Amino acid sequence: MAMCFRLGVTVPALVLLTCAAMGFGIPRGLASGVAFIVNSSSASISVIDMTSRREVRRIPALREPHHLVLSPDGKSLLVGDTVGNQIMFLDPATGAVQRRVTVSDPYHLAFSPNGKLLVVNGLARNQVDVYDAAAMTLIKRFAVDSTPSHLDFSPDSRFAFVSLQGSGKLAAFDLKELTLRWTEPVGPAPAGVIWWRDKVMVAIMGADYVVVADPATGKVVHRIVTGKGAHTLFLAPDKKIMWVNNRASGTTVSLDAETLKTIRVYNIPGGPDDIDFAPDGTLWITRRFAEKVAILHPDTGDFETIGVGRSPHGLWLNPAAPRP
Amino acid sequence: MDDPFDLIAGWLHETVLIPALYAMGLMRWEDLAHGWVLFAVYGGVQVALTLAVCLPLERWRPVERWADQRAVGVDIFYTILSRVGVLPLVTFVLFYKVQVAMNGWIVDHGWIPPTLEHAIPALIGHSVATFVLYAAILDCVDYWRHRISHRFRWWWALHSLHHAQRQMTFWSDDRNHVLDDLIALVWFGAIALLIGVPPLQFPLLVLVLRFIESLSHANARVWFGVVGERLVVSPRFHRAHHGIRAAGRRSCNYGAVLPWWDMLFGTANFSRAYVQTGDPSGEEALATGTWLAQQRAGLRRLWRTLGRLVRQV
Repeated sequence: MAMCFRLGVTVPALVLLTCAAMGFGIPRGLASGVAFIVNSSSASISVIDMTSRREVRRIPALREPHHLVLSPDGKSLLVGDTVGNQIMFLDPATGAVQRRVTVSDPYHLAFSPNGKLLVVNGLARNQVDVYDAAAMTLIKRFAVDSTPSHLDFSPDSRFAFVSLQGSGKLAAFDLKELTLRWTEPVGPAPAGVIWWRDKVMVAIMGADYVVVADPATGKVVHRIVTGKGAHTLFLAPDKKIMWVNNRASGTTVSLDAETLKTIRVYNIPGGPDDIDFAPDGTLWITRRFAEKVAILHPDTGDFETIGVGRSPHGLWLNPAAPRP
Repeated sequence: MDDPFDLIAGWLHETVLIPALYAMGLMRWEDLAHGWVLFAVYGGVQVALTLAVCLPLERWRPVERWADQRAVGVDIFYTILSRVGVLPLVTFVLFYKVQVAMNGWIVDHGWIPPTLEHAIPALIGHSVATFVLYAAILDCVDYWRHRISHRFRWWWALHSLHHAQRQMTFWSDDRNHVLDDLIALVWFGAIALLIGVPPLQFPLLVLVLRFIESLSHANARVWFGVVGERLVVSPRFHRAHHGIRAAGRRSCNYGAVLPWWDMLFGTANFSRAYVQTGDPSGEEALATGTWLAQQRAGLRRLWRTLGRLVRQV
């Protein structure tokens, strides 16, 4: 006990930790920090206290925000508002609005790994925009066929890969030459995209699988059955598990990142969409049709829920932030 | 707090629509379909609410009583087609590619549609106030669309279908020619390029506005008093617009929700009379035909009018 006090552990915290360890109904692995959940149909961003797991407040957006991304310097959280034609820059610790930049239809957006470029998919205008990340000036606009959905980059920042939901294809853009390198069919209604071990993985929402494509040619080299309506892919922070959300089957699937074999299937009803990872090992998953965020405990398969706004979509956790 | 209608829409989407879209190979539309289910659920609520209020009102204080109400049945069909999203969905699907191409073309030419919040930053964060401001502006825009549709003969040929009903009830709000609806869509699309679209997160407020529009067509002796008549369009105020003598260019009271635009632009008529409705100049099919017969009659009238215009030129 004396050791605990010397380490600065307060009595209430010690009681909580003891109770938690003994399983007395206190959520395991209490996290601090703040979670941001983008409510697309409520035009807002829910700010959630990760400790109490309660929604503290909502940040108003303009019309229909979807995805969000942290700036390379970690100083801003960018939220794309598609119908509002705006990217909102938030303080990633407090949610305070830093500035607003007019950008047409910013659906999915991501920074290149070197932090120099910001690529924005214009889903409702069939265009992919490449911005200078620092100046937020448009460098190049690509017209695509059609419905650019999700995107990811090669680790060297040379290529951006964009799923074209309307045409069932994956497109590769050369960001050095600013050209379209190739467009290849990958399956009906492709959605989530992720670079993994020198390959590109794409979730195929019109089918029950994820494809693995060769980034040089776009040719599909492998298919992994995950569940109907495979929608998004997320790599765990320890890079040991690839998580896949299946929209039609209402499941979240863990794949061994090494072998890409299924480890476990979790039932997450309500349209599981985006995922972020908490330090306590839980997964926070937006449930689009349930006005909820699920907090999944992968070891037990149980999940808690937090009520948010309509059609929660993108989310981002900042465990290092002070409690809101 | 959970929105029960949103949860019903979510449940329908997950258990009915997604399996259907998946089976039909249409999952590319899945995200948009969620919005349509919500539209349909709120449309159903709109119809139920309107029915619950307006039907007793029409029974209690009817302007007219009719032995045969078959003509009203077609208006019910119009309402269901429109409010639960069948017609809007067909229009969306037919013109989706055009709309996306237009979006890209406009952005390519350097125009990004602003929102009212761009012009008035103080509105940011006050979404209800923003919605109300949009509602007022769009009501004014609709006043002019409506007034012009009475002014041009070719447009009146289509819009006269709405006025042909002699048995006007709260169901009559949505009886429109599909081309007239399409013109309205383009009209509001053009306005959206200038001021953006209103906040989308208030389906209940939209429901209230649509309720006022339905109520204004009710076959009921209802007015809102000297002051109220000048605040919101009442059944009496809108009935004057549908009067037999007001059909075509001589009409009045074009406002849908607010009478302010009629007062401002000199077309308001606050007479206390409850007039007969209809358009004697149109063929009978426009008034009592089936949905299809009315649509065809509207096209015939448009064709004849265009023919006359060409001959005059």
